[in-house]
Amino acid sequence: MVLSGRTEAFEPLVTPYRGPLLALATRLTRNREEALEVAQEALLRAFRSLGRFDVSRSFRNWLFQIAANEARDRYRRRSREQAAFKDVADRAPSATTGSAATTGSAAADPEAEQDRQELRAGIMRSLAALSPREREVFVLRDLEELDIRETSRVLGCSAISVRVNLSSARRKLRDAIRRDYPHLEEGR
Amino acid sequence: MTCRKVCKLIPLFAGDDLKPRLLRAVRAHITACPGCRAELEGFRAALSEIKSAAQAEGVPEWDEREWSALMARVAAEAKLAGERTGGVAVRAFRPRFAAASALGAVLGLVVLGLLFKGPSSRSGSVTGESGLVIASDNPQQDKVAITMVSPETGLQVVWFLDKNFDYKGEQE
Repeated sequence: MVLSGRTEAFEPLVTPYRGPLLALATRLTRNREEALEVAQEALLRAFRSLGRFDVSRSFRNWLFQIAANEARDRYRRRSREQAAFKDVADRAPSATTGSAATTGSAAADPEAEQDRQELRAGIMRSLAALSPREREVFVLRDLEELDIRETSRVLGCSAISVRVNLSSARRKLRDAIRRDYPHLEEGR
Repeated sequence: MTCRKVCKLIPLFAGDDLKPRLLRAVRAHITACPGCRAELEGFRAALSEIKSAAQAEGVPEWDEREWSALMARVAAEAKLAGERTGGVAVRAFRPRFAAASALGAVLGLVVLGLLFKGPSSRSGSVTGESGLVIASDNPQQDKVAITMVSPETGLQVVWFLDKNFDYKGEQE
């Protein structure tokens, strides 16, 4: 209906995907505020581009593709800005840190559960060590559970590129976990 | 397959992401090699930890006010686009435009067909002012019969003419 111009049909169309879209954006950006902006921009872009949507494709994957592109654009923009203001950052290094996800609301939890949460948060922070492409591939394939072909389509790259980046991402994450949490491997 | 090569492929093998031919080769090696099997288990454990951490991390929820504001923005943008460029209207009109174009094309073909068919059908026959069909392309109509009846005697005479209107005989 929305494809034929009924804009009021857009909200019911995208509502089932709003959660998965925000989750994907959060995993790609590692920042709640930025994830929200990415998801919002992705939905606006989706609305503007609905006329070009290929109905033979998965609508969810199409939204994921737009969100991944938006997250990548923002990452590049931020990298350029950071490079431009490097001098300022060097003068005030303490002010540039602390944008990683903060999930510490476990003051009232038992100690073991708190340790577990910290461990999980630490594991998820290790995603930051990946390159943007590796993170996109890992998030889509391993966390969103798209297959290789779907992942390559969402990212607009070849299946070979997906496999190369996926292999690299898994190896880096495994090495990070082995280095930072050796007890997990010993406890196997 | 060597352990070195298998170790390179283990990250993909751990997630069942190898192509079938390589998958079989790596599986065969790992079955027989304890070192590579341990490496594989390490990868699988790491992947499992990350997946469970991602699930436990929880998915952020949309603030309903933010969602409503976004949908309002979409509606406003659609309205603006419709007013400025007729974007939505054009999108809505497209199927109708396509149907009208198709209908026009069909009608055009029909008219063209009639135009090209018309002269050939007319050329085979000569129609007099009285509407009498004198001759046509049909060989069975090569002969024309004209029946004349005398009102006084009731005598009937039939003249037979060919399609060039040449007299071919008569019958009483």
